[in-house]
Amino acid sequence: MARVPFNILNSTFKILPMDEKFDCIVIGGGVAGLAAAMTLAKNNMKFLLIERGEFAGSKNVSGGVLWGSDLAKLVPNYWEEEDGGWERFINHRRLTLMDEQSAFTIDFKSSHFNETPYTGVVVLRSKFDNWLSGKVQEAIDASDYAMDSFIATNIKVDEVLMENDKAVGIRTGEDEFHADSVIIAEGVNNLLTRQVGLQDDYVPADHMLTGIKEIIRFDQDVLEQKFQLNGLSGMSNEFVGAATDGIEGGGFLYTNRDTISLGLVLGIKDMREKKKSPHDVLNHFKTHPAIADIIKDGEVVEYSAHVVSSGDSRAMPKELYKNGILLAGESANLLMNAGKAIQGMDYAMRSGILAAETIVKAKDKGDFSSATLKEYRTVMDQSYVMKDINGFQDAVHLLHTETMQQKVPNLLCDFGRQFFTIKNEPTPKSKDMLKGAVKRHTSFWELAKLGFKAGKSL
Amino acid sequence: MKNLKLTERLGLVSYRNQSKSEIKPHIVVDTDICNSTCPHKCTTWVCPANCYTMDDNNQVHFQVEDCIECGTCMYACDQGAVDWNFPDPEIGRGVTWNFG
Repeated sequence: MARVPFNILNSTFKILPMDEKFDCIVIGGGVAGLAAAMTLAKNNMKFLLIERGEFAGSKNVSGGVLWGSDLAKLVPNYWEEEDGGWERFINHRRLTLMDEQSAFTIDFKSSHFNETPYTGVVVLRSKFDNWLSGKVQEAIDASDYAMDSFIATNIKVDEVLMENDKAVGIRTGEDEFHADSVIIAEGVNNLLTRQVGLQDDYVPADHMLTGIKEIIRFDQDVLEQKFQLNGLSGMSNEFVGAATDGIEGGGFLYTNRDTISLGLVLGIKDMREKKKSPHDVLNHFKTHPAIADIIKDGEVVEYSAHVVSSGDSRAMPKELYKNGILLAGESANLLMNAGKAIQGMDYAMRSGILAAETIVKAKDKGDFSSATLKEYRTVMDQSYVMKDINGFQDAVHLLHTETMQQKVPNLLCDFGRQFFTIKNEPTPKSKDMLKGAVKRHTSFWELAKLGFKAGKSL
Repeated sequence: MKNLKLTERLGLVSYRNQSKSEIKPHIVVDTDICNSTCPHKCTTWVCPANCYTMDDNNQVHFQVEDCIECGTCMYACDQGAVDWNFPDPEIGRGVTWNFG
């Protein structure tokens, strides 16, 4: 796929106008940065988006499903494009609880999900972000600043420049670029966010997890038959229990065009304490009988890793804005798994859009100070992103307890094995099977407490 | 499907500036801390690319060449031994994902 018209390489780097002042500099060409840039371009703003990779997406890793329908706001009717940047839309969802030998799955498929705009698309970031940055370039070309706004790649931002405690631009090596505002969309390893004082210099491992995954390729026909896919429909499957070999976290499997994304998200503190390596745990997951049967005949074509936050708000920066600065996406650790789905890219997209809209208002007012930019906090708090993060904190905590991570999957698999076993002897009543399974793995009291908490938090 | 060894997995990664003989490391590790006061030396097992290794004398060594820029070591090290940065596009290492 063509990826160069917007790839301003080092040789042409000097043509970037260093004496010009931009309305905004966006740091990072991931989902948050590109959503911000698209919104700025559509609102006729003069901006510079800086990406440290060879092209937007070249440094980016996600699970990954982009949930929700915000993509249609940025690229209307994106599904009509012959080969858009996305892989498959999700119309089939599975949640699997595992013990070492069994898998107990909740399975939901519905043609409701076939309707556009889709409510979830699987993406591979190297392709998706690159495609989206092409769309941003089109929006720049159609704006009043076609010649004055830029997507510049292969540039690493070393510092956000501050003057009188207000951001005035960025420095890369010896070069400086100036702007009225800076949107930091640098991702989870948020060094600049720390540099400007919005997050502590050291972020402890407590609420951080390492995501690792393999891309496994099949013949497309084989893949489509394996997962009962039709056209560009796709499936998402999350896993809890033995998938992670006793480490806090979970697993995922998503279908791409002719590959699957198979991986795990593993608590860093837990790995530190239990002395487990992520690649060993991934091997353990891949040899689980339910997974081994799926991936046989596949060929691994990429291995990658990316840190994420758990969604615990204690990992979030102190604030989302500062004089002249807004944080979007994972820079602000906007990510959550409350048991239903791993959401991050959709939060990135919405926060990028809202950040850019705040910059547009600031330009109208001629004031980029925190007096204006604090409105970003207000619109974020009113948005589903912060409402969900704040509203589902108890669910995040609950999901990371040993009961949910191990006892419940073991109990359900134990019960499932008995329930689905047909012997040529009298069958016990299901309630007695359940009672036995509960007693072997937990207690009715613990389960009642769990049910109460789950009822409240979910 | 046979599980891949970590070296085979890393063999699938496209690293940048591979033709350059000298690269500027984007992570600097003060292994004196690892090898004196650190009670766990956890980077030697939590790093998904095995950039941190332990020799027969329990000494920690670090190499940046295989780093896939995930950031795990920056969070896992609670001893202040890891100085983490992004690789320089021209003279650093780091990755270009084919799938991502």
